[in-house]
Amino acid sequence: MTEHTTVVEEHPEVDYGQAWQGGDKPLKASYGKLMMWYFLLSDAFTFSGFLIAYSALRFNSSTWPEADFVFSTFPGGFHHMPLIFVTVMTFILILSSVTMVRAVQEGQRENQKGVAFWMGLTILGGLSFLGCQAWEWTNLITKEHVSLYTNPFGKYEADGVYINEDGSEGETFRAGSGYLVHKHDGHWAPKKYKVTSGPEAGTIKTQVFGPRAFGALFFVITGFHGFHVFSGVLFLLIIMLNVISGIYKKRKNGYEMVEKIGLYWHFVDLVWVYVFLVFYLL
Amino acid sequence: MAHLSYEESKKVVFKGLIFLGVITIVEVAIALLAKGQIIEGFHLNKTFYSILMAVFSLIKALYILGEFMHLKYESKALRVGMAIPLILLVWAAIAFSQDGYTFEQRRERSGDEHFPEKPPVAEHSLHDVAH
Amino acid sequence: MENNSLLIDDEKLLKENGYDDHFHDHHHDEDPYQSNFFSKYVFSMDHKMIAKQFLITGMFWAVIGAAMSVIFRLQLGFPEDSMTWIKPLLGKWIVIDSAGVGHLATEFYYALVTMHGTIIVFFVLTAGLSGTFSNLLIPLQIGARDMASPLLNMLSYWFFFLASVIMFLSLFVSTGPFAGGWVAYPPLSALPQASSGSGMGMTLWLISLTFFVVSVLLGGINYITTVLNLRTKGMSMWRLPLTIWSFFITAIIGLLSFPVLVSGFLLLMADRSLGTSFYLSEIFINGHALDNVGGSPILYQHLFWFLGHPEVYIIILPAMGIASEVLSTHSRKPIFGYKAMVISIASIAFLSFLVWAHHMFMSGMNPFISNFFVIFTLIIAVPSAVKVFNWISTLYGGSIRLNTAMLFAIGFVSMFISGGLTGIYLGNSALDIQMHDTYFVVAHFHIVMGVAAFFGMFAGIYHWFPKMYGRFMNETLGKLHFWGTMIGAYLIFWPMHYLGLAGVPRRYYSFDVFDTFSQFSDLNKFITVAAIITFFLQIVFIANFFHSIFFGKKVKEKNPWKSNTLEWTTPIHAGHGNWPGNIPTVHRWPYDYSKDGFDFIPQIQPPLAGETENH
Ligand code: HEM
Ligand SMILES: [Cu+2]
Repeated sequence: MTEHTTVVEEHPEVDYGQAWQGGDKPLKASYGKLMMWYFLLSDAFTFSGFLIAYSALRFNSSTWPEADFVFSTFPGGFHHMPLIFVTVMTFILILSSVTMVRAVQEGQRENQKGVAFWMGLTILGGLSFLGCQAWEWTNLITKEHVSLYTNPFGKYEADGVYINEDGSEGETFRAGSGYLVHKHDGHWAPKKYKVTSGPEAGTIKTQVFGPRAFGALFFVITGFHGFHVFSGVLFLLIIMLNVISGIYKKRKNGYEMVEKIGLYWHFVDLVWVYVFLVFYLL
Repeated sequence: MAHLSYEESKKVVFKGLIFLGVITIVEVAIALLAKGQIIEGFHLNKTFYSILMAVFSLIKALYILGEFMHLKYESKALRVGMAIPLILLVWAAIAFSQDGYTFEQRRERSGDEHFPEKPPVAEHSLHDVAH
Repeated sequence: MENNSLLIDDEKLLKENGYDDHFHDHHHDEDPYQSNFFSKYVFSMDHKMIAKQFLITGMFWAVIGAAMSVIFRLQLGFPEDSMTWIKPLLGKWIVIDSAGVGHLATEFYYALVTMHGTIIVFFVLTAGLSGTFSNLLIPLQIGARDMASPLLNMLSYWFFFLASVIMFLSLFVSTGPFAGGWVAYPPLSALPQASSGSGMGMTLWLISLTFFVVSVLLGGINYITTVLNLRTKGMSMWRLPLTIWSFFITAIIGLLSFPVLVSGFLLLMADRSLGTSFYLSEIFINGHALDNVGGSPILYQHLFWFLGHPEVYIIILPAMGIASEVLSTHSRKPIFGYKAMVISIASIAFLSFLVWAHHMFMSGMNPFISNFFVIFTLIIAVPSAVKVFNWISTLYGGSIRLNTAMLFAIGFVSMFISGGLTGIYLGNSALDIQMHDTYFVVAHFHIVMGVAAFFGMFAGIYHWFPKMYGRFMNETLGKLHFWGTMIGAYLIFWPMHYLGLAGVPRRYYSFDVFDTFSQFSDLNKFITVAAIITFFLQIVFIANFFHSIFFGKKVKEKNPWKSNTLEWTTPIHAGHGNWPGNIPTVHRWPYDYSKDGFDFIPQIQPPLAGETENH
């Protein structure tokens, strides 16, 4: 955007009364940085729209899968590791935010090499996060058969005991524990169970699907966030190349472009805090 | 950084890493505890747990905004300008959630508490089995 | 009041007191902005040209949108009469029955109503109004060379253009454009098989409006940062003309509300093409239950109106700003209660985000939450009333020049009062049970938003035409246009209140099956005739507009209205960069009319000797 805007120069900080009187930057930020802030504000409202819709749909459902049951696999075939993988993902994102801060700081010292180095690390962090997300999605889609319109993750409302093929009783489970309806040879194979507590004690039931809004919201919202990470990585890459080529050095404005993309990158991290909260913690 | 020296601000970065990392670990630990993953049969009160987690997330978000995005060191006008619009979302969140809840209650009252989802296999329809 | 000759000459002030930003040092003859036809008229980055592009595109859409309303009004007013004569235009949408009488196809009736709403609300009254005047006036009135980012500004227009092209194409798909109402509620919008327009038509509608949002955001970010950072020396926030205040706050509202619409749209797109059920549940088509369960159509309504209500203020605030400026200039009086005006605009903006569900009282929403929405809604009436009071007080005792711009500004106030009062009825959820989705609502929002915003726009066009084209519009035709439109609009919309109170529902193709409504068939004819006449009066305006561009009376002096704001210190035909030399500096607020014996004291005049209190 900056190539064409050189015609409209902001007035240099003239000594003319207080900032709000014109001829000055009342928010003490260049218009480029302000534009980024206002863009992020609007983007925050896009995400809020999604998260608030999530909230409405979740309250709209009588049951909801337990995150510590759904997200309990780890690459390498590990199971029963609740929330561990997503914690790793969160760390990666935090780390990449930290390296981004370092890049901005080096920019303010006009240290070209330092900026490029820390930006490189940030890009690596972004890519690893995307890799993790790709694995998580693949696992959910191909192994656990969650999709935009089916959600085999459910939650038991009462205590119960499984009933085997031959009619004998199998393992027991507690109310509130999660289950996954399995698929065998391309066919859904819901288990039968006998309820052993509550008003319906004694009845035989079959596992039902969980609320499908869960899967759909998960893919749409984490997908939208992932898209932001992806575009962030692209912008970082372009700007890093520009840093290396020395464009910003000539501008002598403390690598403001790096600062702007930094704002965007931290914002993506900030959104993740809330994605993490609603999908994995609550 | 306008208000900190280079060395100081480098330290802030390191502190931020530790701070956010520790909060995340605490969050996950409490989550597992609350859901009975650590102590068999022990569960935290749901409302209390949700509020706790929301507070932790808010702290993290404010930290990222303040230190990483540098908002703490920007002009007051910019800070206020960003904060006021976000307040609007509070009412939106309350109204949307409350309305979603109303819908769920209506379904429950109309006797369809397990609507919407059916069992995956047609011949084992929920109602055949339950009644 | 002839002491104005004592004021210092503009040119002299610019030269001696102006601020030299060295703009012209880097822009000599071969200005890349104006070098050839394309960069000057098509892919222009000059804010004045972009404003004209927005205006002309908006006018194009206004004609289409209004023509559509004439066609569906014909159906409502003369349901029995043959429409075969229009078959050459509408083709298969006119169905000839066995008796040889041509009727408007029902699906197409709904499509017309839908497109009319979408086009007027988004393309005419948002892009055509705020897009035009924000672009034209923000740099000129704050003393800037151009927008902060001319490139983004240009893109803003071209995204709007793209949105326009796609929406225009949707009018010609064989299944027709979208036909589920401008609010696009699911399931009609979510299920491609729901109605003929729900397939391709709706897909194009969604894509078009998504591009439109991009345009609004690009424009908005630019307007906000420009107003904040590019004001000239001395132009404090409290010296901004009310036009700028209203564009500034409008841009902020747009920036916060349109993104939520985007999230709603993305979920809708997923429902349409990916098989999700965000908005769908318990739906039967031809006796078969759909597989979609667990969603909530009311969720869409919440997301839509979270934009939708702020959107109506996005439409009306610029009109309010323009009316304030025009009223003050042409009554030669300072605007009454300047600060109260600014605070009202800001509080309307804030409150507009808290009231959206007053459009949903009858949707099945929790009636307990409705109470809060009722309260917030009624509170908005307070700042609105403050503004009305201030406009009237501004007029009171002024030396009023009743030219066309002024007439439209006064007409704006009249419309805003008439329509705002019915809003208070509707804001009470108990009354709304009776009036929701009737012609009462149609009357309310057409008067308060439709006509009022159009009047604001007309006032702006007549007032700033000399600045845009260096010529005046014809006053006689202008007055004909005003009186015709004013009377016509009331004749069209006033009777609708009675229809609505009697329970006549909106969006119906025909009332044949309701015996009780047959009593209104004459009234409906009357409304239709009034609508047709009013429509043809707008042709007068358009002819006047285009004729005046080329043949209008030439503007001879820089400041024909004797106005205080900075745009009138630029040359009659301002080039790129607006001021040929220095940019002006500002020493007072824009409303020093009839002060200390001076008729008007422009903003660039330094404090005068012995002047009373200076803003
Ligand atoms: C005192 C201020 C106002 C109040 C209390 C108010 C209240 C309402 C209410 C309660 C409705 C919903 C009616 C229904 O569907 O049953 C409504 C509809 C509407 N209002 Fe207002 N309003 C006010 C001012 C305005 C203004 C200033 C505008 C635009 C500039 C506006 C534009 C609309 C529109 C476009 C609709 C109908 C949308 C639709 O259903 O298609 N209103 N108003
Ligand atoms: Cu409203």
